[in-house]
Amino acid sequence: MTKVAVLIETTDNEVKAANFGVLTAARGEGHELYAFVVGADAQSCKGELEKYGAAQIISITGDGADLSAQPDLQAKAIIAALKEYQTSVLLALGSSKGNDILARVAAKLQVPLAVDCLSIDCSASTVRKPYFAGKTIATLKLNGEYFICAIRPNAVEPVQAPVEAEVASFTAEVGNYDGLVIKEVKKSASGKVDLAEANVIVSGGRAIGSKENFDILEQCAAAMDGAVGASRVAVDEGFATHSMQVGQTGKIVNPRLYIACGISGSVQHFAGMKTSKVIVAINSDKDAPIFNKCDYGIVGDIFEIVPALTAELTS
Amino acid sequence: MQFYETTYIPVKSIVMAILLMGGFGYFFYKVKHLVVLMNSVQGERGYGADRLGERIKVLFTDILGQKNVRRKLMPGLAHTFIFFGFLAVQPHSLEMMIQGVFPAFSVASFAPSFFTLYLQIADILAFLVLIGLGYGLYRRLVLKPGYLTNGMDAKLIILFTSVIILTFHIYNAFHLALPSHGFDYSPCFTVSVVVGAILNLSSWSESALRIGFEMTYWVHILTILGFMIYIPGSKHLHLLAGIPNVFYKPLDIEKPMIKTDIEDEDAETFGLSKIYELNWKQVLDLYACTECGRCEERCPASKTGKPLSPKDLIHELKVELMNNADALIKKEDVESLSGLVSAEAGPIKNDALWACTTCRGCEDICPVNIQHLDIILEARKNQVLMEASFPPEMQDTFSSLENQSNPWGFSEDTRADWCKELDVPLMADKPDADILWFVGCAGSFDDRAVETSKAIASLLNKAGVSFAILGTEERCNGDMARRCGNEYLAQMMIAENVETFNRYKPKRILTGCPHCFNTIKNEYPDFDARFDVVSHVDFILELIESGKLKVNAEYPGKITYHDSCYLGRWNNIYDSPRKIIAALNTNEELVEMVENRDNAMCCGAGGGRMFMEETMGERINNVRSLQAIETGADTVSSACPFCLTMFSDGMGDNKGTQDVKDIAELVDAVT
Repeated sequence: MTKVAVLIETTDNEVKAANFGVLTAARGEGHELYAFVVGADAQSCKGELEKYGAAQIISITGDGADLSAQPDLQAKAIIAALKEYQTSVLLALGSSKGNDILARVAAKLQVPLAVDCLSIDCSASTVRKPYFAGKTIATLKLNGEYFICAIRPNAVEPVQAPVEAEVASFTAEVGNYDGLVIKEVKKSASGKVDLAEANVIVSGGRAIGSKENFDILEQCAAAMDGAVGASRVAVDEGFATHSMQVGQTGKIVNPRLYIACGISGSVQHFAGMKTSKVIVAINSDKDAPIFNKCDYGIVGDIFEIVPALTAELTS
Repeated sequence: MQFYETTYIPVKSIVMAILLMGGFGYFFYKVKHLVVLMNSVQGERGYGADRLGERIKVLFTDILGQKNVRRKLMPGLAHTFIFFGFLAVQPHSLEMMIQGVFPAFSVASFAPSFFTLYLQIADILAFLVLIGLGYGLYRRLVLKPGYLTNGMDAKLIILFTSVIILTFHIYNAFHLALPSHGFDYSPCFTVSVVVGAILNLSSWSESALRIGFEMTYWVHILTILGFMIYIPGSKHLHLLAGIPNVFYKPLDIEKPMIKTDIEDEDAETFGLSKIYELNWKQVLDLYACTECGRCEERCPASKTGKPLSPKDLIHELKVELMNNADALIKKEDVESLSGLVSAEAGPIKNDALWACTTCRGCEDICPVNIQHLDIILEARKNQVLMEASFPPEMQDTFSSLENQSNPWGFSEDTRADWCKELDVPLMADKPDADILWFVGCAGSFDDRAVETSKAIASLLNKAGVSFAILGTEERCNGDMARRCGNEYLAQMMIAENVETFNRYKPKRILTGCPHCFNTIKNEYPDFDARFDVVSHVDFILELIESGKLKVNAEYPGKITYHDSCYLGRWNNIYDSPRKIIAALNTNEELVEMVENRDNAMCCGAGGGRMFMEETMGERINNVRSLQAIETGADTVSSACPFCLTMFSDGMGDNKGTQDVKDIAELVDAVT
C-alpha cells in the first residue's frame, strides 16, 4: 500500500466533478489517499471526497500567503506537505490549473512529470498516455524520487468507494515571493456548465426555430446537469450565442452523452462532437445524415420528444 | 497684323519653348521618380517578357481591342471612345506644340493628302471622346454606382480631357474660318464645321478670329501640359502604367501560388509584411489601378458587406508606397517600416485579409490585369508563418490537417472507409490502373460529398474505366492550408502526396474536387510532380462523348449550374459541365443564374472560408443560393463538395426546395 496524494481542484469551495476520476485512478488497488485541498474550505469538500475514498483530507495553507493567488508558493506548500505526510506520489486533474501547479512542483523537486495520462500504476510508477493525436498510446516509466502525473479529464470512469475521512490542517512555511501573483480571474459570463467539460450536451439546430424554443433544450439539459449546445445555423439565426456553437468553427466537445435535436449533422458539426461517447439524434427527417452517425436515432418531432424526455428525467 | 507677325509670333515661340521644356522636363522627372521607385522594391519574383509573340498579340487584343474594358458594355464603350479619340488628337496637339516654337513647321506641307485623311479621322474620333466623357459624367453624377471611386480626381480628369477635346474642335473651327495659307482644311472636319456654325464664326472679323484662334491655342496647349504634369500623381497614372501592366500580364489563366522556400535558413521573413517586399511588377499593378471598382463590384466579400474591397486594398497599398517613397528609394531602414496588415491602421485590415474567398473575381475582371491574390495570399502567409495571427477557429482545422491530414480531424486510417462495400480498388493492389482517382478529404469523410464519390465510382465502373484510389496513402492536397497562409503545413502534405504519386507514376490523375484539381494540376509541378490531371467534369464529358457512358434517360426538371471558382476562374472550365447537362437534360435549356461563368459569384467557401466563421454582413452562400432559387430551376448542380455544402445550407436559410446535386450524381442517375 502506497501513500498517494491527490491535489483537489475546486471552484467556489466545491469539488470539481472531474476530480472523482482522478481519485478513482489514485486509489488503484487500495492505496492510502491524501486529498490536498488548497485555497478552499476542506470541511465543505469532505462529503464529496469521502465518497471516492479519500481517507485523509489535508487543508493546506501558507503562513500568511494567499496560495490560490500565488502558484509558486502553492507548489512550495504542496512539496512541504508531501514531505510532511511522506507521500511520494502526487496526482492531479490534467486541467490547465492542474498542469500548471504540477509542473512547478516537479521542477522544484527536479523529478519527471507526466501529463495527459489515461491511466497510471502507482506501484510500478508507470503511466499510459497518447501520442501523435491518439494514434499511439505509450507506456512510460517515471524514474524519480517522486511520481507525479496529471490525469486527462474524464479519462478514468469515477467509481465510488466511501470511507470516513479525517480532516487535518497543514500550514507550510512558504516565505515571500511575488514574482507571479494572480490579480483577477475573469469567469465566462454564463453560469452554466462549460460545454467543453460537460458530461451531457443537448444541442439544437435550425429546426428549433427560435431563441425561445431553446428553453425546452435548457430544461432537458438541466435535468441531467448538462449544457446546451447549438449548430452553426442556430447561432447564425440568432437562436443561440456563439459560445454555444459546437462544430468545426465552434467548440470541440466530448461529453458522455450528446443529444442532437433538429440538427441535420453536416460534417462541419460532426467534426465538433464526433468523440462523444454516445450520440442520440432526434430529427423529423429520417434521411438526415445525423442518423448515420448516431448510436440512437429518434425520428420525430423534437417539440414532442424533448419535453417528454425532460418530464421522464425529472419525475 | 504687323504686331502679330513681328511681336506676338516671336514671343510665342520663346514662351512655348520654355513652357514645353518645363512641362515635359517636369513630366519626365516625375515619371523617372516612379520608375526608380518601382525598381527600388526588393520582392523577388519578377515577371519577364517571355513568350513575346503572345504578348504582342495581347497588345492588339487587350489594348487596341479594349477586350477587357468592354466586358462592361456602357463604361467599356465610353472608355473605347475616349481611348481612341484621345490618342487620335495627340499628333495634332504635338504639331501645334512644334508650330508654337517653329511657326513654319507644317505636316500638311509635305504630306497633304495623308494629313487630310488623319484630320478627318481625328475630328470624328475626338467627338466620340465627348460622348464617352458625357457618359462618364452621367455615371458619376447620376448613376453613382457604389463601387466607383467618385472623387475630385475623376472629375478633374474629365474636365481636363473635355477641355482638350473641345479646344481641338474650336481650334479647327477657327482654322476653317481663317483665310487658308496653302492647305485646304475644308474637307478635313465633320464635327468642327458644326462647332464653327454654332459659334457663328462666319460673321466674325478676321482679327477677332485670329484672337480667338490664338486664345484657343493657349488653352489647348496649357491644358495638355497641365494634364501631363497632373497624370503621374493621380489615378490617371493608369494612362502610363496600364499598357505595360497588361503587356506583362500572366498569359495563362492557371497560376500556382508562390512557392516559398521554407527551408531557406537565411530567410528572415516569409510572405509579404512590408511594402518594400513587393516586386516591381506588383508596384506596376499599383500604378495601373484607376479605381474603376469592377473588382469591388465583383468581390463576394464586398458584395455582402464585409470589410474587404480589392480596389481599396490596392489603393491603400499605393498610398503606403508613395508615403514611403523616399525611404524605399534610398533603401534606408526599410525593415523598420510598419507592417502592412493590422487590425486598425495600415493598408490591409486583418478582417479584410481573412474575408477573401480567393474566388479570383477581382483578378479576372480587372481591365489592367492587377494580381490582387498574389498580394492577399502572401500577406496571409506572413500572418500565419511569422505572426501566428489567423482567425482562432482555424487552429483546430490546422491541427486536424497536421495530425490526420483532413480538416475535420477524422482518423486518417478511416480515409477509405467510405468505399468499404464498393468495388473501388486501391493503388496498392492495382498499381497499373489507368486512372489514379484522388478522392480528396471531403469525398472521403463528408457524408454529403461521399454521395458524390459513390456516384463517381459508379460511373467509372459503368464505363469500364481501370482506376484505383490511394486510400489511406492519400493526404489532403494542401489547398486549404496554403490559401490560409499555412505554407509549412501545406508543403508537408504536398510532399507526402508527391512522393506517393512519384512512386506509382500514374498515367492520369482524376480529381472529384476542384480544389484538389487546381493544386495538383497547377501547383504540384513546383514540387516535382508533373502528371496529367483531369477534373471529374472533363472526364465524365469524355466518357459520354466517347460513348463509354450512355445516357439512357432524361434527367427530369430544369437544372441550373453553379461554376466553382477553382474550375472556372482558376482553370477556365466552363463548357464541360454545361455540355454534360445538355446531354442528359435534352428537353430543357440549362437555366443560368444572373451571375454565371466567369462572372459567377463565389459560394463563399474558398480560401479556407469554409472553415472560418462568417460573422460580418450577409452570408455569401445565402446571397448566391437566392440567385439559384430565382432561376426557377428544380435542381441546383455544381461540381465542388464545398459549393454543395454552401448551397445546401443556403437553401435551408432561404427556404429553397431545390435539390442540390453534384454533376456526377446527375449523370449517375441517368446512365
